[in-house]
Amino acid sequence: MIRKAFNIAITGLILLTMTLTSCKHDRHHPGYVFMPDMCYSEPSDAYTVSHVFSDSLTMRIPVKGTIPRGYTPYPYKAKSYTDQIAAGKELVNPVPVNAETLATGKAQYDIYCMLCHGKKGKGDGHLYTSKKFPMKPTSLVEKYVQGKPDGELYHIVTTGSLSGLMGAHGAQIKSENRWAIINYMRSLAMK
Amino acid sequence: MLIFLRSSLLKSFSTKIISSFIIFIFFTGINLQAQDDGKKLFQICSACHSIGKGKLIGPDLKGVTERLDRDWLASFINNSQAVVQSGDEYAVKVFQEYNSIPMPPNNYSDEQMNILLDYIENFDKAPKPVETVAVAEAPEVEGEYVFMEETAYPFANLRISFIISAIIIALSLIDLFITKIVKTRFIHILIILISGAIITEVIVTEAISSGRATYYEPDQPIQFSHKIHAGDNLIDCNYCHFTVDESKYAGIPPVQLCMNCHNLIKEGPYTGKEEIAKIYASLETGMPIQWVKVYYLPDHVYFSHAQHVAVGKLECEECHGDLTSVDRVQQIGDLSMGWCIECHRIKAVQFIDNDFYSRYTKLHEELRSGDINQVTVSNIGGDDCQKCHY
Repeated sequence: MIRKAFNIAITGLILLTMTLTSCKHDRHHPGYVFMPDMCYSEPSDAYTVSHVFSDSLTMRIPVKGTIPRGYTPYPYKAKSYTDQIAAGKELVNPVPVNAETLATGKAQYDIYCMLCHGKKGKGDGHLYTSKKFPMKPTSLVEKYVQGKPDGELYHIVTTGSLSGLMGAHGAQIKSENRWAIINYMRSLAMK
Repeated sequence: MLIFLRSSLLKSFSTKIISSFIIFIFFTGINLQAQDDGKKLFQICSACHSIGKGKLIGPDLKGVTERLDRDWLASFINNSQAVVQSGDEYAVKVFQEYNSIPMPPNNYSDEQMNILLDYIENFDKAPKPVETVAVAEAPEVEGEYVFMEETAYPFANLRISFIISAIIIALSLIDLFITKIVKTRFIHILIILISGAIITEVIVTEAISSGRATYYEPDQPIQFSHKIHAGDNLIDCNYCHFTVDESKYAGIPPVQLCMNCHNLIKEGPYTGKEEIAKIYASLETGMPIQWVKVYYLPDHVYFSHAQHVAVGKLECEECHGDLTSVDRVQQIGDLSMGWCIECHRIKAVQFIDNDFYSRYTKLHEELRSGDINQVTVSNIGGDDCQKCHY
């Protein structure tokens, strides 16, 4: 009889310890996949390690000279003053100035430019005024910037500034949005 | 006597050495500091000018402080075009010699101007910074990497009820077979059944939750802090995750993008130079940083950020929580189907003035006539299986 009770007690204890230890939540563990069928992608997903290529990169660098469909090559080189002047002479702003494009321009400006160049384009963005970025960004509303043709400004946004203090934003901002930003910059100076 | 003389000589000699050494360190220290500031100021000039390495876009500045008057230089540096337009002979000559490329105006104070000109003047004489000095000037690490507050484990109550139910079952079993205090067997069976149901419920809930990744918060290869970037520095989410409105993925920014700011910012407030150096290493080797994915959806579910952000106009924090107040990313929702569907049923779609939905003429009519006051995602097929599983 006592032996029986003892056995039951032991079984209970084992069950107890098992439950207490089984459901430990670990922030490093993403949880279990009970049915892994179709959970993990057979082909390599974006941002995953490739098991096909020796350098384990899934995203391949395209063969030199490859261009995507519908892409217009950009012939002007970064950090070249002559190319910047050439871009200013040759590139024409295809985006018309109207309320809609100015709204797009403002939205894009607020995302990509405001941080350094400030809400009103005076070069007093939060990153500079909070002393995070040590260099004073150029004021966009003064003559030095406003005197440049649209194409030159487009070139600077696309490839970065001559000094290299402003990085290239060509990859981040779509072409038409870059032109829209320039339109918005012009409207800032008029205010 | 001789010994005494010698020792005193030695003594005075050694104090001289020490004192001169101290003075030397003191002065070089100051000098180094000024040179350091000068270097920072010169960074902007170095795009077009070199010191002793030949012409770039602008002239070589070696010995420029000897060639020209400091006041003249100061006025030229701050507003070169004004000097050229005033008809200054030398300025016009230089301007024309260098393809009439105007030098951008600057806004240096007198003090900064002096530091800059001193830097150019002493560029070659500048003592090479000694290793020890660099160590001594290493910044103190302010603050530390703080983590998202530990979220209380939500099933703690379940665990307690599991244990209590188990004990009750054990007690009733003991009473049923051994002690036999309660005579009616029906009560034992009832208690066992109820407790068994509770235990099953707990096991099922636990099993489901352990298949989900809520509260998943892995360590990342770089101790990147969303709090610093998006919170303190007010950087827009879209600045780095710039494909969010046109791609399935929000996008992990390439290291080249980091360099837009980190070309100059080389020290972080939490970890100093250590973590930021990993960006430079990645840039140099061309090997991407292997971030750990937090929000993972199985391959049999289709999810697109573009659909939710560009068309649905959802804010990032509606699914990802407020990342401006936490350093490390933690998964907020459980990403279960119920989680998706619940939102699809409640969430009103921005239906009017949204080109994407202009084809739903019937719903537009009903909205106009007032039959329905809002359109949820379910109304436009958000509950259908093939909407996400195909």
